[in-house]
Amino acid sequence: MTSPILLEAIGVEKYYDKFAALGGVDLKVRANTVHSVIGPNGAGKTTLFHMLTGTKSVSGGRILFDGHDVTHEPDHRRVQRGMARSFQVTSLFLSLPVRENLRLAAQGVAPAKAFNCWHEPIGARACADTVERVLDKLGLSSLAITPAGNLSHGQQRRLEVGMALAAHPKAIFLDEPTSGMGVDDLDAMKRLILSLRDEHTVVLIEHNMDIVMDISDTVTVMQQGRILAEGLPHAIRSDDRVRAAYLGNMITGGKA
Amino acid sequence: MKRHLHFLLALAVVLLMPAFMQSGSLASEVLIYALAAMGCNLLLGFTGLLSFGQGVFFGLGSYTIALTLTRWPLPMPLALLLAMLMGALGAAVVGWVAIRQKGTYFVMLTLAFAQMFYFIAYTATGITGGDNGLLDIPRPSIVVLGHTLWSLASPWQFYGFVAVAFLLAFWLLQKVSRSTFGRTLLAVRDNEERAGAIGYNLKLLKLQAFVISGAVTGLAGALHAMMTGIAPLSNAEYHTSEMILVMTVIGGAGNLFASVLGSAFYVLMADWLSTLWPRWLLLLGLVLMAVSLWMQRGLWGLGDSAWRALRSKLEKQHD
Repeated sequence: MTSPILLEAIGVEKYYDKFAALGGVDLKVRANTVHSVIGPNGAGKTTLFHMLTGTKSVSGGRILFDGHDVTHEPDHRRVQRGMARSFQVTSLFLSLPVRENLRLAAQGVAPAKAFNCWHEPIGARACADTVERVLDKLGLSSLAITPAGNLSHGQQRRLEVGMALAAHPKAIFLDEPTSGMGVDDLDAMKRLILSLRDEHTVVLIEHNMDIVMDISDTVTVMQQGRILAEGLPHAIRSDDRVRAAYLGNMITGGKA
Repeated sequence: MKRHLHFLLALAVVLLMPAFMQSGSLASEVLIYALAAMGCNLLLGFTGLLSFGQGVFFGLGSYTIALTLTRWPLPMPLALLLAMLMGALGAAVVGWVAIRQKGTYFVMLTLAFAQMFYFIAYTATGITGGDNGLLDIPRPSIVVLGHTLWSLASPWQFYGFVAVAFLLAFWLLQKVSRSTFGRTLLAVRDNEERAGAIGYNLKLLKLQAFVISGAVTGLAGALHAMMTGIAPLSNAEYHTSEMILVMTVIGGAGNLFASVLGSAFYVLMADWLSTLWPRWLLLLGLVLMAVSLWMQRGLWGLGDSAWRALRSKLEKQHD
Protein backbone atom coordinates (compact mmCIF):
# COMPACT_ATOMS: atom_id res chain seq x y z
CA MET A 1 0.00 0.00 0.00
CA THR A 2 1.60 3.20 -1.12
CA SER A 3 -1.29 5.62 -1.16
CA PRO A 4 -0.55 8.95 0.59
CA ILE A 5 -1.32 9.54 4.24
CA LEU A 6 -4.63 11.38 4.59
CA LEU A 7 -4.92 11.54 8.36
CA GLU A 8 -2.25 11.59 11.00
CA ALA A 9 -2.52 11.69 14.77
CA ILE A 10 0.65 12.60 16.67
CA GLY A 11 0.80 11.86 20.39
CA VAL A 12 -2.91 12.53 20.92
CA GLU A 13 -3.88 12.59 24.60
CA LYS A 14 -7.19 12.96 26.36
CA TYR A 15 -7.50 13.36 30.11
CA TYR A 16 -10.69 13.35 32.14
CA ASP A 17 -9.40 14.91 35.36
CA LYS A 18 -6.40 12.69 36.01
CA PHE A 19 -7.69 9.65 34.15
CA ALA A 20 -5.90 9.20 30.83
CA ALA A 21 -8.51 8.00 28.35
CA LEU A 22 -5.85 8.36 25.67
CA GLY A 23 -2.19 8.31 26.62
CA GLY A 24 -0.41 9.49 23.50
CA VAL A 25 -1.72 7.83 20.37
CA ASP A 26 0.05 7.91 17.01
CA LEU A 27 -1.96 6.89 13.98
CA LYS A 28 -1.44 7.16 10.23
CA VAL A 29 -4.35 6.48 7.91
CA ARG A 30 -3.64 6.08 4.20
CA ALA A 31 -6.04 7.38 1.56
CA ASN A 32 -8.58 4.98 0.02
CA THR A 33 -8.06 2.25 2.57
CA VAL A 34 -10.27 0.72 5.22
CA HIS A 35 -8.44 1.26 8.49
CA SER A 36 -10.01 -0.48 11.47
CA VAL A 37 -9.44 0.34 15.13
CA ILE A 38 -10.22 -2.54 17.48
CA GLY A 39 -9.69 -3.22 21.15
CA PRO A 40 -11.48 -4.34 24.29
CA ASN A 41 -14.19 -2.15 25.85
CA GLY A 42 -12.69 0.93 27.47
CA ALA A 43 -9.58 0.83 25.28
CA GLY A 44 -10.26 4.38 24.09
CA LYS A 45 -11.46 3.69 20.56
CA THR A 46 -14.48 5.97 20.68
CA THR A 47 -12.49 8.66 22.52
CA LEU A 48 -9.91 8.54 19.73
CA PHE A 49 -12.75 8.92 17.23
CA HIS A 50 -14.07 11.96 19.08
CA MET A 51 -10.60 13.50 18.92
CA LEU A 52 -10.11 12.77 15.23
CA THR A 53 -13.50 14.12 14.19
CA GLY A 54 -13.51 17.07 16.59
CA THR A 55 -16.57 16.00 18.55
CA LYS A 56 -14.45 16.61 21.67
CA SER A 57 -11.21 18.55 22.09
CA VAL A 58 -7.79 17.00 22.71
CA SER A 59 -5.78 17.45 25.92
CA GLY A 60 -2.50 17.14 24.00
CA GLY A 61 -0.96 16.16 20.68
CA ARG A 62 -1.76 17.11 17.10
CA ILE A 63 -4.09 15.97 14.36
CA LEU A 64 -3.24 16.54 10.71
CA PHE A 65 -5.81 16.01 7.99
CA ASP A 66 -5.24 16.41 4.27
CA GLY A 67 -2.25 18.67 4.88
CA HIS A 68 -3.90 20.88 7.50
CA ASP A 69 -3.45 21.01 11.25
CA VAL A 70 -7.05 20.55 12.42
CA THR A 71 -6.22 19.94 16.11
CA HIS A 72 -8.15 22.95 17.34
CA GLU A 73 -10.91 23.07 14.75
CA PRO A 74 -14.44 22.23 15.94
CA ASP A 75 -16.31 19.35 14.32
CA HIS A 76 -18.35 21.49 11.96
CA ARG A 77 -15.17 23.03 10.48
CA ARG A 78 -13.67 19.60 9.92
CA VAL A 79 -16.73 18.58 7.92
CA GLN A 80 -15.78 21.24 5.41
CA ARG A 81 -12.26 19.80 5.22
CA GLY A 82 -13.80 16.46 4.21
CA MET A 83 -14.41 14.50 7.41
CA ALA A 84 -17.73 12.89 8.23
CA ARG A 85 -18.72 10.48 10.96
CA SER A 86 -21.38 8.08 12.08
CA PHE A 87 -22.21 7.45 15.72
CA GLN A 88 -22.08 4.29 17.81
CA VAL A 89 -25.50 5.11 19.20
CA THR A 90 -27.75 6.01 16.30
CA SER A 91 -27.99 9.79 16.05
CA LEU A 92 -30.55 10.96 13.52
CA PHE A 93 -33.19 13.65 13.14
CA LEU A 94 -35.94 11.30 14.22
CA SER A 95 -38.96 13.49 13.50
CA LEU A 96 -37.73 14.37 10.00
CA PRO A 97 -38.12 12.20 6.88
CA VAL A 98 -35.21 10.06 5.68
CA ARG A 99 -34.76 12.29 2.65
CA GLU A 100 -34.63 15.42 4.82
CA ASN A 101 -32.02 13.80 7.08
CA LEU A 102 -29.79 13.21 4.07
CA ARG A 103 -30.49 16.63 2.57
CA LEU A 104 -29.39 18.29 5.81
CA ALA A 105 -26.26 16.16 5.85
CA ALA A 106 -25.46 17.05 2.22
CA GLN A 107 -26.12 20.74 2.86
CA GLY A 108 -23.77 20.69 5.86
CA VAL A 109 -20.73 20.88 3.59
CA ALA A 110 -21.77 24.41 2.63
CA PRO A 111 -23.26 25.44 5.97
CA ALA A 112 -23.42 29.15 5.08
CA LYS A 113 -26.48 28.25 3.00
CA ALA A 114 -28.25 27.26 6.22
CA PHE A 115 -28.59 30.96 7.08
CA ASN A 116 -30.76 31.67 4.05
CA CYS A 117 -34.01 32.89 5.61
CA TRP A 118 -35.75 33.58 2.34
CA HIS A 119 -35.52 30.63 -0.03
CA GLU A 120 -36.87 27.17 0.54
CA PRO A 121 -34.46 24.28 -0.01
CA ILE A 122 -35.93 23.29 -3.38
CA GLY A 123 -34.55 23.05 -6.92
CA ALA A 124 -30.81 23.65 -7.03
CA ARG A 125 -30.79 24.10 -3.23
CA ALA A 126 -32.18 20.62 -2.58
CA CYS A 127 -28.92 18.65 -3.13
CA ALA A 128 -31.25 16.20 -4.90
CA ASP A 129 -28.54 14.32 -6.83
CA THR A 130 -26.53 13.52 -3.74
CA VAL A 131 -29.59 12.58 -1.73
CA GLU A 132 -30.95 10.23 -4.41
CA ARG A 133 -27.56 8.57 -4.90
CA VAL A 134 -27.12 7.94 -1.18
CA LEU A 135 -30.71 6.72 -0.81
CA ASP A 136 -30.02 4.27 -3.60
CA LYS A 137 -26.75 3.12 -2.09
CA LEU A 138 -28.42 2.56 1.29
CA GLY A 139 -31.37 0.77 -0.27
CA LEU A 140 -33.75 3.20 1.43
CA SER A 141 -35.27 4.85 -1.66
CA SER A 142 -38.71 3.42 -0.95
CA LEU A 143 -38.63 4.87 2.58
CA ALA A 144 -37.55 8.38 1.57
CA ILE A 145 -40.55 10.15 3.07
CA THR A 146 -40.76 8.03 6.23
CA PRO A 147 -39.70 9.81 9.43
CA ALA A 148 -36.30 8.45 10.51
CA GLY A 149 -37.81 7.53 13.89
CA ASN A 150 -40.11 4.99 12.21
CA LEU A 151 -37.31 2.98 10.56
CA SER A 152 -36.20 -0.42 11.84
CA HIS A 153 -32.92 -0.61 13.75
CA GLY A 154 -31.02 -2.02 10.77
CA GLN A 155 -32.39 0.70 8.49
CA GLN A 156 -31.45 3.37 11.02
CA ARG A 157 -27.90 1.99 11.19
CA ARG A 158 -27.64 2.23 7.42
CA LEU A 159 -29.04 5.77 7.41
CA GLU A 160 -26.47 6.57 10.11
CA VAL A 161 -23.72 5.67 7.62
CA GLY A 162 -25.58 7.52 4.87
CA MET A 163 -25.52 10.73 6.93
CA ALA A 164 -21.74 10.63 6.71
CA LEU A 165 -21.78 9.67 3.02
CA ALA A 166 -24.03 12.54 1.99
CA ALA A 167 -21.30 15.02 2.89
CA HIS A 168 -19.01 13.72 0.10
CA PRO A 169 -16.24 13.23 2.65
CA LYS A 170 -12.63 12.36 1.91
CA ALA A 171 -12.57 10.36 5.12
CA ILE A 172 -15.57 8.65 6.63
CA PHE A 173 -15.47 7.60 10.30
CA LEU A 174 -17.77 4.74 11.25
CA ASP A 175 -18.21 4.02 14.96
CA GLU A 176 -19.49 0.45 15.31
CA PRO A 177 -21.82 0.57 12.31
CA THR A 178 -23.11 -2.94 13.02
CA SER A 179 -23.87 -2.42 16.71
CA GLY A 180 -27.07 -4.16 17.68
CA MET A 181 -27.68 -5.41 14.15
CA GLY A 182 -29.28 -8.75 13.36
CA VAL A 183 -27.40 -11.27 11.21
CA ASP A 184 -29.64 -10.53 8.26
CA ASP A 185 -28.52 -6.91 8.13
CA LEU A 186 -24.81 -7.63 8.61
CA ASP A 187 -24.06 -8.62 5.02
CA ALA A 188 -25.72 -5.51 3.63
CA MET A 189 -23.63 -3.35 5.96
CA LYS A 190 -20.42 -5.18 5.04
CA ARG A 191 -21.06 -4.67 1.33
CA LEU A 192 -21.88 -1.02 1.98
CA ILE A 193 -18.61 -0.38 3.81
CA LEU A 194 -16.55 -2.20 1.19
CA SER A 195 -18.14 -0.14 -1.56
CA LEU A 196 -16.97 3.05 0.13
CA ARG A 197 -13.25 2.43 -0.38
CA ASP A 198 -13.24 3.47 -4.03
CA GLU A 199 -14.22 7.04 -3.30
CA HIS A 200 -13.47 7.49 0.39
CA THR A 201 -11.05 6.59 3.13
CA VAL A 202 -12.78 4.61 5.85
CA VAL A 203 -11.80 4.64 9.52
CA LEU A 204 -13.78 1.96 11.28
CA ILE A 205 -14.38 0.97 14.89
CA GLU A 206 -15.94 -2.45 14.94
CA HIS A 207 -16.46 -5.30 17.37
CA ASN A 208 -17.46 -7.86 14.78
CA MET A 209 -14.14 -9.54 13.97
CA ASP A 210 -15.42 -11.33 10.88
CA ILE A 211 -16.18 -8.00 9.30
CA VAL A 212 -12.94 -6.39 10.47
CA MET A 213 -10.75 -9.20 9.18
CA ASP A 214 -12.63 -9.41 5.87
CA ILE A 215 -12.68 -5.80 4.82
CA SER A 216 -9.75 -4.03 6.51
CA ASP A 217 -6.53 -3.01 4.80
CA THR A 218 -4.92 -2.08 8.11
CA VAL A 219 -5.91 -2.97 11.67
CA THR A 220 -4.85 -0.98 14.74
CA VAL A 221 -5.34 -2.62 18.13
CA MET A 222 -5.82 -0.38 21.17
CA GLN A 223 -5.58 -1.23 24.84
CA GLN A 224 -5.90 1.05 27.85
CA GLY A 225 -5.64 4.26 25.87
CA ARG A 226 -2.57 3.22 23.87
CA ILE A 227 -1.79 1.42 20.65
CA LEU A 228 -0.87 -2.19 21.20
CA ALA A 229 -0.25 -3.34 17.66
CA GLU A 230 -0.83 -2.40 14.05
CA GLY A 231 -0.65 -4.32 10.82
CA LEU A 232 -2.39 -6.35 8.15
CA PRO A 233 -5.44 -8.34 9.31
CA HIS A 234 -3.77 -11.74 9.15
CA ALA A 235 -0.70 -10.47 11.01
CA ILE A 236 -2.91 -9.02 13.76
CA ARG A 237 -4.86 -12.23 14.01
CA SER A 238 -1.68 -14.16 14.82
CA ASP A 239 -0.03 -11.49 17.01
CA ASP A 240 0.75 -12.89 20.47
CA ARG A 241 0.25 -9.60 22.34
CA VAL A 242 -3.12 -9.11 20.71
CA ARG A 243 -4.12 -12.66 21.54
CA ALA A 244 -3.11 -12.08 25.14
CA ALA A 245 -5.06 -8.82 25.35
CA TYR A 246 -8.20 -10.47 24.09
CA LEU A 247 -7.61 -13.76 25.94
CA GLY A 248 -7.93 -15.32 22.54
CA ASN A 249 -11.67 -15.33 22.27
CA MET A 250 -12.74 -12.21 20.46
CA ILE A 251 -10.05 -12.14 17.81
CA THR A 252 -11.03 -15.53 16.50
CA GLY A 253 -14.59 -14.47 16.00
CA GLY A 254 -16.07 -15.21 19.42
CA LYS A 255 -18.34 -12.66 21.07
CA ALA A 256 -16.60 -10.03 23.20
CA MET B 1 -54.43 25.79 -0.80
CA LYS B 2 -52.76 23.66 1.83
CA ARG B 3 -49.65 25.74 1.43
CA HIS B 4 -51.53 28.89 2.33
CA LEU B 5 -53.84 27.32 4.89
CA HIS B 6 -52.14 28.78 7.94
CA PHE B 7 -51.96 32.27 6.52
CA LEU B 8 -55.63 32.06 5.54
CA LEU B 9 -56.49 30.94 9.07
CA ALA B 10 -54.58 33.92 10.47
CA LEU B 11 -56.40 36.18 8.02
CA ALA B 12 -59.71 34.68 9.13
CA VAL B 13 -58.92 35.47 12.77
CA VAL B 14 -58.06 39.05 11.82
CA LEU B 15 -61.32 39.48 9.88
CA LEU B 16 -63.60 37.67 12.32
CA MET B 17 -62.56 39.37 15.54
CA PRO B 18 -64.22 42.73 14.66
CA ALA B 19 -67.44 40.85 13.85
CA PHE B 20 -67.64 39.09 17.19
CA MET B 21 -65.88 41.35 19.66
CA GLN B 22 -66.94 44.62 21.17
CA SER B 23 -63.56 45.89 22.27
CA GLY B 24 -61.02 46.89 19.64
CA SER B 25 -58.35 47.04 22.32
CA LEU B 26 -58.96 43.44 23.34
CA ALA B 27 -58.80 42.34 19.70
CA SER B 28 -55.55 44.29 19.27
CA GLU B 29 -54.16 42.65 22.37
CA VAL B 30 -54.84 39.19 20.91
CA LEU B 31 -52.81 40.00 17.80
CA ILE B 32 -50.04 41.74 19.74
CA TYR B 33 -49.48 38.79 22.04
CA ALA B 34 -49.81 36.48 19.05
CA LEU B 35 -46.79 38.30 17.61
CA ALA B 36 -44.87 37.79 20.84
CA ALA B 37 -45.87 34.13 21.03
CA MET B 38 -44.79 33.55 17.43
CA GLY B 39 -41.41 35.04 18.28
CA CYS B 40 -41.21 32.70 21.25
CA ASN B 41 -42.32 29.77 19.10
CA LEU B 42 -39.44 30.28 16.69
CA LEU B 43 -37.11 29.54 19.61
CA LEU B 44 -39.16 26.97 21.52
CA GLY B 45 -40.97 25.08 18.78
CA PHE B 46 -38.50 25.34 15.90
CA THR B 47 -35.11 25.48 17.62
CA GLY B 48 -35.87 23.75 20.93
CA LEU B 49 -34.80 26.70 23.11
CA LEU B 50 -36.83 27.58 26.20
CA SER B 51 -36.15 31.29 26.66
CA PHE B 52 -37.27 33.40 29.60
CA GLY B 53 -35.74 36.40 27.86
CA GLN B 54 -38.84 37.20 25.79
CA GLY B 55 -40.00 39.79 28.37
CA VAL B 56 -36.70 41.61 27.93
CA PHE B 57 -37.28 42.01 24.20
CA PHE B 58 -40.94 42.94 24.77
CA GLY B 59 -39.91 45.56 27.36
CA LEU B 60 -37.17 46.93 25.11
CA GLY B 61 -39.75 47.40 22.35
CA SER B 62 -42.12 49.20 24.72
CA TYR B 63 -39.49 51.56 26.10
CA THR B 64 -38.00 52.27 22.69
CA ILE B 65 -41.29 53.29 21.08
CA ALA B 66 -42.23 55.34 24.17
CA LEU B 67 -38.95 57.25 24.14
CA THR B 68 -38.91 57.85 20.40
CA LEU B 69 -42.53 58.99 20.17
CA THR B 70 -42.40 61.27 23.24
CA ARG B 71 -38.90 62.73 23.01
CA TRP B 72 -37.69 62.55 19.41
CA PRO B 73 -39.54 63.70 16.33
CA LEU B 74 -39.24 60.35 14.54
CA PRO B 75 -42.04 59.20 12.18
CA MET B 76 -44.03 56.41 13.81
CA PRO B 77 -43.17 53.63 11.29
CA LEU B 78 -39.49 54.40 11.77
CA ALA B 79 -39.97 54.35 15.54
CA LEU B 80 -41.51 50.87 15.19
CA LEU B 81 -38.52 49.69 13.17
CA LEU B 82 -36.22 51.11 15.84
CA ALA B 83 -38.16 49.18 18.49
CA MET B 84 -37.69 46.00 16.45
CA LEU B 85 -33.98 46.77 16.12
CA MET B 86 -33.66 47.21 19.89
CA GLY B 87 -35.52 43.95 20.48
CA ALA B 88 -33.16 42.23 18.05
CA LEU B 89 -30.09 43.77 19.72
CA GLY B 90 -31.31 42.71 23.16
CA ALA B 91 -31.89 39.20 21.83
CA ALA B 92 -28.43 39.15 20.29
CA VAL B 93 -26.90 39.94 23.70
CA VAL B 94 -29.05 37.48 25.68
CA GLY B 95 -28.61 34.83 22.99
CA TRP B 96 -24.87 35.35 22.64
CA VAL B 97 -24.34 34.60 26.31
CA ALA B 98 -27.06 31.99 26.89
CA ILE B 99 -26.25 29.68 23.94
CA ARG B 100 -22.90 28.94 25.51
CA GLN B 101 -24.82 26.47 27.65
CA LYS B 102 -27.50 23.89 26.97
CA GLY B 103 -30.50 22.58 28.86
CA THR B 104 -31.06 23.79 32.39
CA TYR B 105 -28.16 26.25 32.38
CA PHE B 106 -29.27 27.80 29.14
CA VAL B 107 -32.70 28.41 30.69
CA MET B 108 -31.10 29.80 33.86
CA LEU B 109 -29.00 32.25 31.84
CA THR B 110 -32.07 33.62 30.06
CA LEU B 111 -33.81 33.87 33.43
CA ALA B 112 -30.84 35.77 34.84
CA PHE B 113 -31.12 38.30 32.02
CA ALA B 114 -34.86 38.66 32.64
CA GLN B 115 -34.23 39.47 36.32
CA MET B 116 -31.37 41.84 35.59
CA PHE B 117 -33.33 43.70 32.95
CA TYR B 118 -36.20 44.22 35.36
CA PHE B 119 -33.97 45.74 38.01
CA ILE B 120 -32.11 47.88 35.51
CA ALA B 121 -35.45 49.19 34.22
CA TYR B 122 -36.58 49.75 37.82
CA THR B 123 -33.41 51.67 38.68
CA ALA B 124 -32.88 53.71 35.53
CA THR B 125 -35.78 56.07 36.24
CA GLY B 126 -34.34 58.76 33.95
CA ILE B 127 -34.91 56.53 30.92
CA THR B 128 -37.67 54.13 31.87
CA GLY B 129 -39.60 56.11 34.45
CA GLY B 130 -38.87 53.36 36.95
CA ASP B 131 -41.92 52.14 38.81
CA ASN B 132 -44.20 54.64 37.05
CA GLY B 133 -43.19 53.60 33.55
CA LEU B 134 -43.38 55.98 30.62
CA LEU B 135 -46.72 57.71 30.20
CA ASP B 136 -48.65 59.60 27.53
CA ILE B 137 -47.34 57.75 24.52
CA PRO B 138 -49.08 59.26 21.50
CA ARG B 139 -50.62 57.25 18.67
CA PRO B 140 -49.79 59.45 15.71
CA SER B 141 -51.72 59.07 12.48
CA ILE B 142 -49.94 57.85 9.41
CA VAL B 143 -49.30 60.96 7.38
CA VAL B 144 -48.00 60.98 3.81
CA LEU B 145 -47.04 64.33 2.23
CA GLY B 146 -49.17 66.29 4.65
CA HIS B 147 -52.29 64.15 4.11
CA THR B 148 -53.57 62.11 6.99
CA LEU B 149 -53.74 58.68 5.42
CA TRP B 150 -54.76 56.62 8.41
CA SER B 151 -55.80 57.88 11.83
CA LEU B 152 -55.11 55.46 14.67
CA ALA B 153 -57.11 57.36 17.26
CA SER B 154 -59.96 54.90 17.90
CA PRO B 155 -59.35 51.36 19.17
CA TRP B 156 -60.68 49.76 15.99
CA GLN B 157 -58.61 52.07 13.79
CA PHE B 158 -55.56 51.02 15.74
CA TYR B 159 -56.66 47.40 15.42
CA GLY B 160 -56.52 47.77 11.65
CA PHE B 161 -52.95 48.97 11.89
CA VAL B 162 -51.97 46.15 14.25
CA ALA B 163 -53.67 43.67 11.92
CA VAL B 164 -51.56 44.80 8.95
CA ALA B 165 -48.36 44.55 11.01
CA PHE B 166 -49.44 41.15 12.32
CA LEU B 167 -50.26 39.70 8.89
CA LEU B 168 -47.00 41.01 7.46
CA ALA B 169 -45.03 39.49 10.35
CA PHE B 170 -46.95 36.21 10.07
CA TRP B 171 -46.20 35.97 6.36
CA LEU B 172 -42.51 36.76 6.91
CA LEU B 173 -42.15 34.33 9.80
CA GLN B 174 -43.82 31.61 7.77
CA LYS B 175 -41.35 32.32 4.99
CA VAL B 176 -38.48 32.07 7.48
CA SER B 177 -39.78 28.84 8.99
CA ARG B 178 -40.00 27.22 5.54
CA SER B 179 -36.63 28.54 4.36
CA THR B 180 -33.40 26.60 4.38
CA PHE B 181 -32.69 28.32 7.69
CA GLY B 182 -36.00 27.24 9.23
CA ARG B 183 -35.50 23.66 8.08
CA THR B 184 -32.02 23.62 9.57
CA LEU B 185 -33.41 24.88 12.89
CA LEU B 186 -35.63 21.78 12.99
CA ALA B 187 -32.48 19.68 12.72
CA VAL B 188 -30.95 21.56 15.66
CA ARG B 189 -34.16 20.99 17.62
CA ASP B 190 -34.19 17.27 16.86
CA ASN B 191 -30.53 16.46 17.53
CA GLU B 192 -27.84 19.03 18.29
CA GLU B 193 -25.00 16.53 18.36
CA ARG B 194 -25.76 15.29 14.87
CA ALA B 195 -26.42 18.80 13.52
CA GLY B 196 -22.94 19.82 14.68
CA ALA B 197 -21.39 16.64 13.32
CA ILE B 198 -22.74 17.21 9.81
CA GLY B 199 -21.25 20.69 9.64
CA TYR B 200 -23.57 23.26 11.17
CA ASN B 201 -22.44 26.05 13.45
CA LEU B 202 -25.06 25.62 16.17
CA LYS B 203 -24.19 28.85 17.97
CA LEU B 204 -24.66 31.04 14.92
CA LEU B 205 -27.90 29.31 13.94
CA LYS B 206 -29.29 29.78 17.44
CA LEU B 207 -28.10 33.38 17.52
CA GLN B 208 -29.90 34.16 14.26
CA ALA B 209 -33.06 32.54 15.63
CA PHE B 210 -32.73 34.73 18.74
CA VAL B 211 -32.29 37.90 16.70
CA ILE B 212 -35.39 37.24 14.59
CA SER B 213 -37.36 36.31 17.70
CA GLY B 214 -36.20 39.49 19.45
CA ALA B 215 -37.23 41.70 16.53
CA VAL B 216 -40.78 40.26 16.41
CA THR B 217 -41.13 40.43 20.19
CA GLY B 218 -39.84 44.02 20.18
CA LEU B 219 -42.51 44.89 17.62
CA ALA B 220 -45.15 43.34 19.88
CA GLY B 221 -43.87 45.33 22.87
CA ALA B 222 -43.96 48.56 20.87
CA LEU B 223 -47.50 47.98 19.62
CA HIS B 224 -48.59 47.14 23.15
CA ALA B 225 -47.19 50.43 24.43
CA MET B 226 -48.95 52.32 21.64
CA MET B 227 -52.21 50.56 22.41
CA THR B 228 -52.21 51.32 26.13
CA GLY B 229 -50.43 54.67 25.84
CA ILE B 230 -47.97 53.63 28.51
CA ALA B 231 -44.77 51.60 28.75
CA PRO B 232 -45.15 50.17 32.26
CA LEU B 233 -42.46 48.44 34.26
CA SER B 234 -44.60 45.31 34.14
CA ASN B 235 -43.88 44.98 30.39
CA ALA B 236 -40.24 44.41 31.33
CA GLU B 237 -41.09 42.03 34.13
CA TYR B 238 -40.31 38.36 34.36
CA HIS B 239 -44.06 37.76 34.38
CA THR B 240 -44.27 38.93 30.75
CA SER B 241 -41.75 36.27 29.73
CA GLU B 242 -43.75 33.66 31.54
CA MET B 243 -47.02 34.77 29.99
CA ILE B 244 -45.56 34.67 26.46
CA LEU B 245 -44.17 31.19 27.11
CA VAL B 246 -47.50 29.93 28.49
CA MET B 247 -49.38 31.24 25.43
CA THR B 248 -46.88 29.52 23.14
CA VAL B 249 -47.15 26.19 24.94
CA ILE B 250 -50.95 26.26 25.25
CA GLY B 251 -51.28 27.08 21.55
CA GLY B 252 -48.79 24.43 20.50
CA ALA B 253 -45.05 24.60 19.87
CA GLY B 254 -43.67 24.24 16.37
CA ASN B 255 -46.58 25.80 14.52
CA LEU B 256 -47.00 29.53 13.94
CA PHE B 257 -50.78 29.64 13.76
CA ALA B 258 -50.92 27.71 17.02
CA SER B 259 -49.37 30.76 18.68
CA VAL B 260 -52.31 32.85 17.48
CA LEU B 261 -54.66 30.33 19.10
CA GLY B 262 -52.60 30.39 22.31
CA SER B 263 -52.66 34.17 22.48
CA ALA B 264 -56.40 34.38 21.71
CA PHE B 265 -57.16 31.75 24.33
CA TYR B 266 -55.06 33.43 27.02
CA VAL B 267 -56.14 37.01 26.35
CA LEU B 268 -59.86 36.22 26.00
CA MET B 269 -59.93 33.85 28.99
CA ALA B 270 -58.11 36.43 31.09
CA ASP B 271 -60.60 39.09 30.07
CA TRP B 272 -63.62 36.92 30.77
CA LEU B 273 -62.47 35.09 33.90
CA SER B 274 -60.92 38.09 35.64
CA THR B 275 -64.37 39.71 35.79
CA LEU B 276 -65.81 36.55 37.37
CA TRP B 277 -63.09 35.65 39.81
CA PRO B 278 -59.95 37.56 40.78
CA ARG B 279 -58.02 34.31 41.29
CA TRP B 280 -58.60 33.15 37.72
CA LEU B 281 -54.89 32.44 37.19
CA LEU B 282 -55.48 29.29 39.25
CA LEU B 283 -57.65 27.96 36.42
CA LEU B 284 -54.91 28.78 33.94
CA GLY B 285 -52.64 26.52 35.98
CA LEU B 286 -55.09 23.67 35.41
CA VAL B 287 -55.15 24.31 31.67
CA LEU B 288 -51.34 24.29 31.61
CA MET B 289 -51.34 20.98 33.48
CA ALA B 290 -53.80 19.47 31.02
CA VAL B 291 -51.67 20.60 28.08
CA SER B 292 -48.45 19.32 29.64
CA LEU B 293 -49.93 15.96 30.58
CA TRP B 294 -52.26 15.06 27.74
CA MET B 295 -52.04 17.44 24.80
CA GLN B 296 -48.48 18.46 24.20
CA ARG B 297 -49.31 19.67 20.71
CA GLY B 298 -51.52 22.26 22.41
CA LEU B 299 -54.79 23.70 21.16
CA TRP B 300 -53.59 23.33 17.58
CA GLY B 301 -52.98 19.62 18.13
CA LEU B 302 -56.42 19.25 19.68
CA GLY B 303 -58.06 20.92 16.68
CA ASP B 304 -55.94 18.93 14.26
CA SER B 305 -56.88 15.59 15.87
CA ALA B 306 -60.56 16.52 15.98
CA TRP B 307 -60.48 17.49 12.30
CA ARG B 308 -58.79 14.22 11.31
CA ALA B 309 -61.27 12.17 13.33
CA LEU B 310 -64.19 13.99 11.75
CA ARG B 311 -62.80 13.55 8.24
CA SER B 312 -62.18 9.83 8.62
CA LYS B 313 -65.71 9.43 10.03
CA LEU B 314 -67.18 11.28 7.07
CA GLU B 315 -65.12 9.20 4.64
CA LYS B 316 -66.39 6.01 6.25
CA GLN B 317 -70.00 7.17 5.93
CA HIS B 318 -69.31 8.02 2.30
CA ASP B 319 -68.10 4.49 1.65
